[in-house]
Amino acid sequence: MSSYMNGGSCVGEFCNAGWSEVLTNMSPYGWGSFGLAFGLSLSVIGAAWGIFLTGSSLVGAAVKAPRIRSKNLISVIFCEATAIYGVIMAIVLNGLMKKPEGGVEDGAFVEGWNWGAMYFAGYGVFSAGLSVGLTNVASGIAVGVAGSSCALADAQDPSLFVKILIVEIFASALGIFGIIVGIIQSNNCQFPYDVA
Amino acid sequence: MSEICTPSAPFFGFMGVTASLVFANIGAAYGTAKSGVGLASMGVMNPHLVMKNIIPIIMAGVLGIYGLIVSVIIQGSITKPEAGVDANGAAIETLKYSLFSGFAHLSAGLCCGLSCLAAGMCIGIVGDAGVRAVGQTEKLFVIVVLILIFAEALGLYGLIVALILSTNTYICE
Repeated sequence: MSSYMNGGSCVGEFCNAGWSEVLTNMSPYGWGSFGLAFGLSLSVIGAAWGIFLTGSSLVGAAVKAPRIRSKNLISVIFCEATAIYGVIMAIVLNGLMKKPEGGVEDGAFVEGWNWGAMYFAGYGVFSAGLSVGLTNVASGIAVGVAGSSCALADAQDPSLFVKILIVEIFASALGIFGIIVGIIQSNNCQFPYDVA
Repeated sequence: MSEICTPSAPFFGFMGVTASLVFANIGAAYGTAKSGVGLASMGVMNPHLVMKNIIPIIMAGVLGIYGLIVSVIIQGSITKPEAGVDANGAAIETLKYSLFSGFAHLSAGLCCGLSCLAAGMCIGIVGDAGVRAVGQTEKLFVIVVLILIFAEALGLYGLIVALILSTNTYICE
């Protein structure tokens, strides 16, 4: 049915006889690697977005109220934490992707190679990476907007800093939800490396 | 390998996990950010009202938790393929996760995710306008909370339907 598993023979003319053929057409290592890449890069995009939102408001407000500059760096650090979640996930997913040491002879996968588990792992790593990455984009932007409001409110009234920081904490919790799901998911998704 | 339990079936289940989490968190992030801006603006004029008006932000955060719940429940139902050895010692694999389960889980994830996305956007806009109004007229607080509860219920509908759908499983023997 699928082309990659059968050594390149497609049923349909363009390897598109059904979703099964399309989805099994890319190597599971490809699915896994894309998941890892999206996990890290989208997390960093979210963190960067948050940092520029917060940072620009911070320096603008600090022109008239220079006292706010050190305290409000906390908002920037909250944004950086979303990038750290992406790095953690990338390292965890990298540890799952194992070389097929016992399973390849003369450039071909041996008889009895566990294709089902390999595709399962590939899709799982892709989904875990995408979950973490896209969640961190949302979380990073939310923390950035909240941090920007925090800096502007703090410049007007110092007692507001801690209160608006609570909003940032709620926004940052969304990134934690993402990494929780990513780690639970990646527990199950070991790539097979030997015929056993 | 059969027509109902294909190697590509887990892809749809995993996309359900991702969809539920990601869309719900986008909604929660929008709600948090938009209400937070309104809260900070209102707090400049009325600092003593800020703690009471954190309610829209908490309600938006709850939507993220709905997405997390459905993700974890779906992810627990995605059965791994089993590897084994048959009578002659040859390795066999059995795919246990069916396309029926896969598409059901994708649908569950989309139900919860997109509902919570809509609820989050609603909570954000109502929360922003609401806290600014409460800053000017305090007795509007009860009405604002009532409207936010109606908005939160939309996410709850998505969660309920997703939980019902996630029980639709077929496991190949």
